[in-house]
Amino acid sequence: MATPLIEARNLSVRFGVGRLTVAALDDVSFTLAPGESLGLVGESGSGKSTVLRALTGLAPLSGGSLKLGGVAVPTPRRMNFFTAVQMVFQDPYASLHPRHTVDQILAEPLAIHRIPHAETRIVAALREVGLGPSYRFRYPHQLSGGQRQRIAIARALILRPKVVLLDEPTSALDASVQAEILNLLEDLRRAFGLAYILVSHDLAVVAHLCERLIVLRQGRMIEETTAGALRDGSVKTDYTRAMLAASGGFTRVGPTAPPTAPLRNT
Amino acid sequence: MTPLLEVEDLHVRFPLTEGTIEAVRGISFTLGRERLGIVGESGSGKSQTGRAILGLTARPGEVTAKRLAFDGIDLMAAPERLRRSLRGSRMTMVMQDPRYSLNPVMTVGQQIIESYRAHKRVSGRDARRAALAMLDEVRITAPDRVMALYPHELSGGMGQRVMIAMMLITGPELLIADEPTSALDVTVRGEVLRILDQLVAERGMGLILISHDLEMVASFCDRVLVMYAGKIVEELASGALDQARHPYTRGLIGCLPKLAGDSHPLPVLTRDPAWAR
Ligand SMILES: Nc1ncnc2c1ncn2[C@@H]1O[C@H](COP(=O)(O)OP(=O)(O)O)[C@@H](O)[C@H]1O
Ligand SMILES: Nc1ncnc2c1ncn2[C@@H]1O[C@H](COP(=O)(O)OP(=O)(O)O)[C@@H](O)[C@H]1O
Ligand SMILES: [Mg+2]
Ligand SMILES: [Mg+2]
Repeated sequence: MATPLIEARNLSVRFGVGRLTVAALDDVSFTLAPGESLGLVGESGSGKSTVLRALTGLAPLSGGSLKLGGVAVPTPRRMNFFTAVQMVFQDPYASLHPRHTVDQILAEPLAIHRIPHAETRIVAALREVGLGPSYRFRYPHQLSGGQRQRIAIARALILRPKVVLLDEPTSALDASVQAEILNLLEDLRRAFGLAYILVSHDLAVVAHLCERLIVLRQGRMIEETTAGALRDGSVKTDYTRAMLAASGGFTRVGPTAPPTAPLRNT
Repeated sequence: MTPLLEVEDLHVRFPLTEGTIEAVRGISFTLGRERLGIVGESGSGKSQTGRAILGLTARPGEVTAKRLAFDGIDLMAAPERLRRSLRGSRMTMVMQDPRYSLNPVMTVGQQIIESYRAHKRVSGRDARRAALAMLDEVRITAPDRVMALYPHELSGGMGQRVMIAMMLITGPELLIADEPTSALDVTVRGEVLRILDQLVAERGMGLILISHDLEMVASFCDRVLVMYAGKIVEELASGALDQARHPYTRGLIGCLPKLAGDSHPLPVLTRDPAWAR
């Protein structure tokens, strides 16, 4: 077997101290092959974002190990880690500096990594995400939600990473804009042989973009499954089955029937 | 019989120095004691419709209508005092994120009791009893413990139940819920919808459910209005998404990734300028 791009073993992350310690991640292991796309699902607070933050070094590991291309990843991360691994967040409003132009936003990673010919790279990066060069001089507030998410993707891709970590990249967008961004992510994946780790609460989005997925609950991996299993309903745990059932819209139990098994204080 | 709500040719405009924004452009519908959905993408005018009905349009917004009536009361002619007393007692609105609509420095109990006593002349003890009963109705376990919590101590789903409890304690006849579940997990979302559904049925209320989630709204509501650029472009019967005729509605349905059936690339929505006319 070829060397995995990412190999995460027994990752644990704790927040807080003493009695107030929260085990945000507990013994999570997975691999990601080059060009592969892996989904992370689970209810909110289950640890999905923490997995991505642990990979990028934003959340300190209290246990476990991480390899990139077969080589152990040091903490703190070195600069070359971020030429291989980049991240796109849910909220394109919060993740772009409000007082920087698109040009400044895209120039920053190039400057940090001392990459020459910034202007050519920026124009090419904009073209890759379907935006013309005129967008260079706009500010984030002058862009629509979808355009901002395109800029965030352009910024992630400008260093030509091997893997992009996507945290709910389309959750804040309208359905029509979501479709455009999902198509863009697929095109870019094909064009550059990218691997993705995608966090989403929308199982249909995960099945659309990923071949494989892991299900988290209270920081633990409770199921590893495939997009195919989501589609034909052959998932293994009740937890995943309940998520699948809930994603099918609202089902009325009966015109006046009381709800079955009321879920309290969730 | 007088309908619960009559809306005819409702307009909401924002005159700004750089030009007037037409947020709602002449919509009409009536509502009985039923569940009506309003869907459309962001900026289509859903929230402004809800706010105009309640009289909560922000300055410098202007509302006009041939008729806007609640239980036969002409809201366009009603003095602000009457509208304020209707709002909160007989008609009310639940917003998307309870963390922004609940008062952060008051406990859950204080807030529910205060909103009850603002509209009902009852003793503190009776108000407290009513608040506990209402929390139980939205299926909160140990309501007396939850009454003592502050909003930041609630999970999203609990916060939303508390909001619903606060809005429904005065026994309103019309509830406008603006994206009440958009900030919630899918599993919790189903539970909150089930609570709303049951309360609406038991109390014979009218509900306007505003959301961008076409599939959810169509599975929950008796009727669905589809808004585009401030207008209603189509009305659909419950569960009849497959019978949508307007190219905008069909485009919206088409561009969603689906678990049943895998299409790459996803169809995208091509907008016809004629839709906005
Ligand atoms: N910086 C932090 N400090 C303390 N607790 C945190 C922090 N970040 C996350 N957590 C906790 O870790 C758990 C997992 O959170 P997260 O990974 O954000 O979940 P998800 O992305 O699945 O919604 C939650 O209980 C959350 O409250
Ligand atoms: N206070 C305001 N001033 C100016 N324009 C506004 C204001 N509030 C809303 N709008 C505009 O009204 C339109 C409809 O907004 P809204 O009803 O909030 O949309 P939706 O709820 O469907 O996303 C949008 O174009 C929005 O920009
Ligand atoms: Mg998260
Ligand atoms: Mg709105």
